[in-house]
Amino acid sequence: MVLVAEHAADTDQRDRFAGEAIGHLDTLYRGALRLTRDPARAEDLVQDTYVRALRYQNSYQAGTNMKAWLFAIMRNLFWDRFKGGRPEDVSLDGDGQFALYDTLRDPSAMPEADVLDRIAAEEVVKAVEQLPELHREVVLLVDVEGFAYKEAAEVLGVPIGTVMSRLHRARRQLQKLLYDYARESGIVHSKGDEA
Amino acid sequence: MNCKDCWEKLDRYVDRELTDAELYEVKRHLQDCPHCEDLYRLQLNLRRVVKVCCDQGVAPEHLRSRLRQILF
Repeated sequence: MVLVAEHAADTDQRDRFAGEAIGHLDTLYRGALRLTRDPARAEDLVQDTYVRALRYQNSYQAGTNMKAWLFAIMRNLFWDRFKGGRPEDVSLDGDGQFALYDTLRDPSAMPEADVLDRIAAEEVVKAVEQLPELHREVVLLVDVEGFAYKEAAEVLGVPIGTVMSRLHRARRQLQKLLYDYARESGIVHSKGDEA
Repeated sequence: MNCKDCWEKLDRYVDRELTDAELYEVKRHLQDCPHCEDLYRLQLNLRRVVKVCCDQGVAPEHLRSRLRQILF
């Protein structure tokens, strides 16, 4: 009788965990699509993420941020499966200096904010997918999923300063990609073109 | 605060990651500096547009059913 009750409690707990986890499926799938840029790989990545989550469900503390926990599993799997290992050693961050000062010293070079609204959604997605993975994943976490820097740092296993410098670089790249696209497709004319 | 100081804090301003004191400084600078205000609008819009555009689409139904079988 005690065994039956224990089994029921286990099943209950497992169902609760599964229910909460599957609630993040669309979010994870979109993230996986952006990371892998391939629907079949995205499906595999998401499925493997859930299998691993189930296996390690005891390491998840109920009431904490399950979305962040699942994202951490997924991005680690992504790097292991598709990129041949964790990226912590990749030196892409440079010195972390803010170079915006140099690039935007000239006010006339700056695009207008509403230019971005005239760019089609798929072009924005394409630009995000062109970012190097280390930059792309931080944009996904902070800009798309709305994680705080601290949460993003925990998911990525890096210091907050690294999150900030990657995010800064990623946004600058995005800005450039989108503005270049806007110019090439005639959505906006650079000031020099009018002369 | 000068423009360079402001630009260095803009990401954190857009992401609501500044301390109250920093927030106050940036806000005050933005009120006085149209160029930085433009840059701020651009940053804010970039974040919004990326969010809206990347946050579309749902997982395929066959994946959902497969996962239900695995999980439950």
